[in-house]
Amino acid sequence: MRDPAGTSGSDRTPSLPRGYRVGDWEVTEPIGAGGWATVYAGHRVGDGPGSAEGQDAVPGGTSGRDVALKFLPTGGLAPLQARNVAEAARREAELGRRARHPRLIRLLDVVVLAEPGHPYLDGAIVLVMERAERSLRSRLATGVTEAEGARLFTGICEGLAHLHRSGWVHGDLKPDNVLLMEDGSVKLSDFGLAAELTGDHGTHGYAPPMGTLDYLPPERWKAPLGEHGVRVRPSADIWALGVMIHEVFASGAPPFPGATPVSRGAAAQEYADGRTPLRMDDAVPPFWRALAADCLAPSHAARVAHTAESLLARIAERPVVDGPSDGRSDGRSAGRSGGQSMGEVTADGGRAADRPPVHRRSGTRAALVALAVCGVAAAAIWVGAYAGHEDTSGTPAATASADTAAAGAAGRVRVFNAEQGCRTRTDRVPECSLGLAIDPLHPYTIDNVVPTRVWHGDVLAVDCLLPRGMSIIDETDAQSADWFRVRLPAGSARPTAWLPAVRTKDRPAVPECPRPTPVR
Amino acid sequence: MSGVVVHLPGSGGGTGEGPCDDAVTLRLGPGEVARFGRGSATTPVELRLADAAISRLAGEIRVTDDHWQLSNHSATQSYLVENPEGAGEYLRVPPRRAGAPIPFEFSRVVLPTRGAATVAFQVFAPDHVYLDPAGADGQWGSRTLPAYSLDETSRYFLVLVALCEPRLRDESPVAVPTTPQIVERLGSHPACGALTARAVSSHIDYIAEEKMRIGVPEEQGPRREARRNGKREAIVGIALRFGLVREEHLALLPPRPGTGPQEWERAR
Repeated sequence: MRDPAGTSGSDRTPSLPRGYRVGDWEVTEPIGAGGWATVYAGHRVGDGPGSAEGQDAVPGGTSGRDVALKFLPTGGLAPLQARNVAEAARREAELGRRARHPRLIRLLDVVVLAEPGHPYLDGAIVLVMERAERSLRSRLATGVTEAEGARLFTGICEGLAHLHRSGWVHGDLKPDNVLLMEDGSVKLSDFGLAAELTGDHGTHGYAPPMGTLDYLPPERWKAPLGEHGVRVRPSADIWALGVMIHEVFASGAPPFPGATPVSRGAAAQEYADGRTPLRMDDAVPPFWRALAADCLAPSHAARVAHTAESLLARIAERPVVDGPSDGRSDGRSAGRSGGQSMGEVTADGGRAADRPPVHRRSGTRAALVALAVCGVAAAAIWVGAYAGHEDTSGTPAATASADTAAAGAAGRVRVFNAEQGCRTRTDRVPECSLGLAIDPLHPYTIDNVVPTRVWHGDVLAVDCLLPRGMSIIDETDAQSADWFRVRLPAGSARPTAWLPAVRTKDRPAVPECPRPTPVR
Repeated sequence: MSGVVVHLPGSGGGTGEGPCDDAVTLRLGPGEVARFGRGSATTPVELRLADAAISRLAGEIRVTDDHWQLSNHSATQSYLVENPEGAGEYLRVPPRRAGAPIPFEFSRVVLPTRGAATVAFQVFAPDHVYLDPAGADGQWGSRTLPAYSLDETSRYFLVLVALCEPRLRDESPVAVPTTPQIVERLGSHPACGALTARAVSSHIDYIAEEKMRIGVPEEQGPRREARRNGKREAIVGIALRFGLVREEHLALLPPRPGTGPQEWERAR
């Protein structure tokens, strides 16, 4: 439909001539345009006190003279739209003032133009910011090495951790808003949709109902709109981070299939509803796959355990790569085939390039590996752990049939370990493993568990829920008598076992289980 | 984008107008499927159409992206998908057609039966995505978009603009038009000649529940009317606050009648 007011986007975006003066700055050339804003390169005029290398010197930039001028016109807009633009600018300025950090693009000044002779320019808000060299988006096509990726995501997580600590959610995290400075350092930008955390516990904030489809967490598609906007939580940024990890290591390919952002959004919801597994690109190295899979945990509840801080710690502690190693050139591109658990992959991921895949095992995990490799349906239990596909069994059919088996399940749950220390570990140590019961009506003791163990973050295929089983109290005194019947890898002595509901934060809508007949 | 809503009017209503005791409403998420037909113990269907002329499994609906697909399992009958707002716009889905994409936000699926009678159900696809007017340069992949987009050519949008009109014209900061006022205000619009009070109410419910997903607090008031008003006020407040309805949209409304209720007059 024709815009009722008869204006088009270009009418609302007058261009500023070279040399146009904005406060202490002068426009050089346009460098980009978004929905409401046009960004120009600019530099400080003259070299008075504080201009170069002084208090306004910008870490990462060269001189502090070069700036980006984000020009938000309000003159051609109806009052309500103008108010929204002003609101976005206000949020950006507020955040810039209160959450200053080397990993956030610094706001140097806010100028409101007074140009009574130019209705489009009059009242325009100009945000003066330090200038970056390029955005992360421009790096996606070329791909990165693991070492370079680690550097990028360390920077992103530092910025994000600071934002979240300071009580803000970014709200529009995407490669376009991650900027790379001339010295290569990383800074987050564009806080127009940032939400300040409020509420009794500062757990959530409210943002305008806007977003970028490819980076919206699945719960956002169903989020109600209230008078303050839509509720956002830091876990929304973590989801977007997971999408970016995948994109960076997979040469820009998004983690969800589909030709358009709308169909990828639908695919993300199908995944979150447990109808399809997460299938990541093989180009993503194992450590990063595990990290992205945690960021892409299907619900807020499952994602909340993974904070920018904890991810930062995991990146810092990741196994050291001997020299720059490209994730795609180390022989793992042969295609996914083994249905193997994520933790497996993670544990050795960083050193994977050094040794042939078949020798990547350590003794403590031998039993599990045997199950994973021999069973066609090995991945059925580790549905979400597809993140970790590696070339192990050489039988591509394993994955396909596992997917099918999983697809037949009524739902999925992600294992949650109440022990904080176990949630940040990915090496699947026995102390952090959790058991599955043989009989949920019998005491949950050593002789009532199956040999298969599960770890925090594992995703299990669920058939049904049994209420009023043996009541289980976890380490944080959470108590429940509910049990999920979960599928075991083929080759197990039993096809299914029982996970206490306290061992997951997920509550998929699954049918109620028939009362099991006593096993012994 | 949370899927589509399928509504089968109760047998009393037929067209969704009457009271619907046995009406069925299904909500399907992306990738989900609902089968329809006469059904049987061995041929389960999610949407049961009790008519002897309809086969046990007559077809299925699958949610894809922001729209849905219709498969026609009949070997002989075509199904019609009408756009009730489209001035006669419809699609014919021929026998055995698998996965025909349906582009309408509102659809009425019509299955032929014996004689002149038909069986029909409705499918709403409230999650169609619209581009932001400010960023219409074709490149929308990585662009920040309004997450709640409205079809500005639809009747529900006209109702929404009419609801917001007094506030947009700075007339009354509190009063939100009543249903009869909206019926009258839109009465001269070519697309809304036959707009009934019931239709206005269901458009308002659709905006509140499917488009904005407004949660109206229960403690709003014991009376149903109070709740309705709370919902209207919430819709207007949110639509204006987030720029879903703007001054430029007033041009969509018909010229103001010379002899309207007092509220409209005061503006002059």
